[in-house]
Amino acid sequence: MNFLSSYIYYIGAFGLIFIGLFIILVKHNLIKIIIGLNLLDTGVNLFLISVGYLHQGTAPIFGKGSQVTPASMVDPVPQALVLTAIVIGASILALALSLGIRLYDHYGTLDLTEVRGQKW
Amino acid sequence: MVNPALLLAIPLGFAFTVPLIKYVSRKLMALTPVLVLLFNLIASALLIPQAIKEPIVTNIGGFSVPFCINLVAGPTGTILAALISLVGLLVAVYSFGYVKDGPVAKYYTLYLLILTGATGIVLTGDIFNLFVFFEILCISSYSLVAYLGEKSGVEASIKYLIQGSVGSSFLLLGIGLLYGQFGTLNMADLANQIQATSSAATFVPMILMITGLGVEAAIFPLNAWLPDAHSSAPSSISAILSGIAIGIGLYAVARIVFTVFGATPIFQLLAVIGMVTVLVGELSAFSQDNIKRLLAYSSIGQMGLIAFGLGIATLEGVTGGLFQLISHALSKALLFLAVGYMIYRVGSMKIDKLKGLAKRMPFASLAFAVGAFSLVGLPPFVGFPGKFLIIRAALAKEELFFLVLVAFVLTATVIEGAYFFRIIQVLYFSGEKTKTTREIAPVSALIPMGLLIILIIIVGVYPGLITNFLDSAAFELLNRANYVSVVMGLS
Repeated sequence: MNFLSSYIYYIGAFGLIFIGLFIILVKHNLIKIIIGLNLLDTGVNLFLISVGYLHQGTAPIFGKGSQVTPASMVDPVPQALVLTAIVIGASILALALSLGIRLYDHYGTLDLTEVRGQKW
Repeated sequence: MVNPALLLAIPLGFAFTVPLIKYVSRKLMALTPVLVLLFNLIASALLIPQAIKEPIVTNIGGFSVPFCINLVAGPTGTILAALISLVGLLVAVYSFGYVKDGPVAKYYTLYLLILTGATGIVLTGDIFNLFVFFEILCISSYSLVAYLGEKSGVEASIKYLIQGSVGSSFLLLGIGLLYGQFGTLNMADLANQIQATSSAATFVPMILMITGLGVEAAIFPLNAWLPDAHSSAPSSISAILSGIAIGIGLYAVARIVFTVFGATPIFQLLAVIGMVTVLVGELSAFSQDNIKRLLAYSSIGQMGLIAFGLGIATLEGVTGGLFQLISHALSKALLFLAVGYMIYRVGSMKIDKLKGLAKRMPFASLAFAVGAFSLVGLPPFVGFPGKFLIIRAALAKEELFFLVLVAFVLTATVIEGAYFFRIIQVLYFSGEKTKTTREIAPVSALIPMGLLIILIIIVGVYPGLITNFLDSAAFELLNRANYVSVVMGLS
């Protein structure tokens, strides 16, 4: 029980990563694959956040006078990284969905096993 | 002296002003990338001599090294930045006459973004910054592959996007693991701390990062997207993707393996992967009937050759690998530009349709022949010294292991020669003997192809012009203690 509560974020992150990878590898529908990509992305972001997370920690601007000690601060660097990674993930998602619309216009299907304009 | 940050800031800034310039004048809009890249070329060329004396470290934001994001303009970085802007400049001139359909302003925006991303990758000294520039490069390439919005382009772009973004997630996961372990993102600081730990502790992040970057570098099991993407993109973009983007991906792999991890046992694996990539690429290229797919597979083969050169991991081997990177960028850009012009006039990518084209388009065919001879490695073209340096370095190792690998690489070169000579035979010696009118190439196609031909021959005859610079670049890549002390300011 103790193990589970101290590593719960890592378990969740890698769970999301593997679910995402599984969807990308197994599913044929483009929308499902895009959802898989997003789950994979979210898993990596959760992992990054949990690297710097501190239970009941705080940010430097909320400390008052003598309460500000480095040991009680949540590491801000992973949060900045995740902010960037979320933006990148969102733009990839938007691009993928708009390409999906174009693909549907051309082929009339989103099933990637039926899209065989080129050799796979 | 120019601040290296300007090499990134100016193309990035102009990328987003291009749509505004369109409202002033369409001619000026097409001219903007040419001027921006000319500035980049001159600036990075001026930085090279200084960077060879001592790498120029720019700390952004005024913080000191482990806490800031820094740019390290070492010899490798500045030489590759100059190469990127040179090829980018010539292709921008070519685009002047080539890109007329579709949303042209967006084309130039994304075009400048690709080159910003590539320049950022070679100049950065921070692994998360590397990831960001890598994504700039990748996302703009996904969109440009689908630029014309036709069937094959959209399909290729989706394939590229799915594989590329899985790769990027792996890269980010590797970066996260490294940060969790060492609490820093700076390459020099990481290299310094990794020296003190056992190699088993950093094995997982290293494999994740190599896999992530390897998707863009098109090393063997990760290159399924490449033939479709490179053959469906507009030819000017294929020239950039084939000549610059995948080479830069390979540079990033080398930087991570050599400088950050310094993992000696992985070098032999890199050499083996390189050899397999050469064989697979050249064998697949041999059986193609679509000329752009053939060139795309040949790029895979060339990447394998560069990876093999880097995997030898001696000073000569890495010099050879970098030389081959430059020679491939020049030759493959020339080939794609020439082929793009032929396809534009003939209207088909099938090799059969190109019969006897040398009479109709003598200049484009000449350009194709020069590029092909150079890739195969015939003297006096630039491909010859590149291959020669790599093979010599591999033989100088005097190990049976490398001797076997060299045998396979040379076999692949013979295959490469076979399919390129077949196309030259189709171009020059087949087709009806009817009189055809010669077509005069437009100036915007003549200038870049002519300049590339001249460069390929000059550097091929005098390889010493660039090998001196590349020697110090290879030294920088291999000597991580030196890199750490320069960047951290310990010396």
